[in-house]
Amino acid sequence: MKPDVSLDFKFTSSIEQVWHALTDSDTLAKWIWSNDFQPVVGHKFQFRAEPNEWWDGIVDCEVLVVEEPHKLSYTWTSAGETTTVTWTLAEQSDGTIQLHLDQSGFSEETKARQGAIEGAKYAWTNMGAQLEKVLA
Amino acid sequence: MSNNHQERDVYVAIADPTRRTLIRLLAEAEELPLHELTAQFDMGRTAVSKHLAILKDAGLVLARKEGRETRYRLNAAPLKEIQDWVSLYEGFWKERISKLQLLLEENK
Repeated sequence: MKPDVSLDFKFTSSIEQVWHALTDSDTLAKWIWSNDFQPVVGHKFQFRAEPNEWWDGIVDCEVLVVEEPHKLSYTWTSAGETTTVTWTLAEQSDGTIQLHLDQSGFSEETKARQGAIEGAKYAWTNMGAQLEKVLA
Repeated sequence: MSNNHQERDVYVAIADPTRRTLIRLLAEAEELPLHELTAQFDMGRTAVSKHLAILKDAGLVLARKEGRETRYRLNAAPLKEIQDWVSLYEGFWKERISKLQLLLEENK
């Protein structure tokens, strides 16, 4: 079984800039989707993407952890599945910022399901039926 | 994120809409020469061949020379890697973070 999503990224911006990009609603809208996020524990918000054939485009979230500027965590409920998205920021000795993303809580069933299911394809909307064809 | 070519994987390769269109075009045809692919885009052949080079690095496209032209073919096997939900999210976040990185660069 595959592990949950665990990714590391490196930034040359300051930790404050990266934190701002993760927690400012307008900035978030530029790289994820439009949203009503607020960096307040317990705040419920949504990301709203363009709906498509497989997905209503809505992600329901609730803020779990806000530890400026090192840790941010929220639930991520979409297409009937709730996972937890956690961002961890760390300043490296060379002055760069390491951003770690962890998305956990996928059910075993979900992990095993193949990409043909509704919802899972949202990231590759443009590929749509073509992806299916390519993979056939 | 490092720009090291060897780290350029299938997620990054398909994160770009032009490259997804190239994959679709190649999926619909057995093999296509560069000029026929270029004709589908609002960009020059140099730009299109750069995108094709990225797909080639990710193992998604095979190229062969025939006479003076290069012909391209799809190799779909690496796409199987992104078939499950977790992998799709990984691809999604990698695409979004590269957007974020561009955003932060612009604001410097």
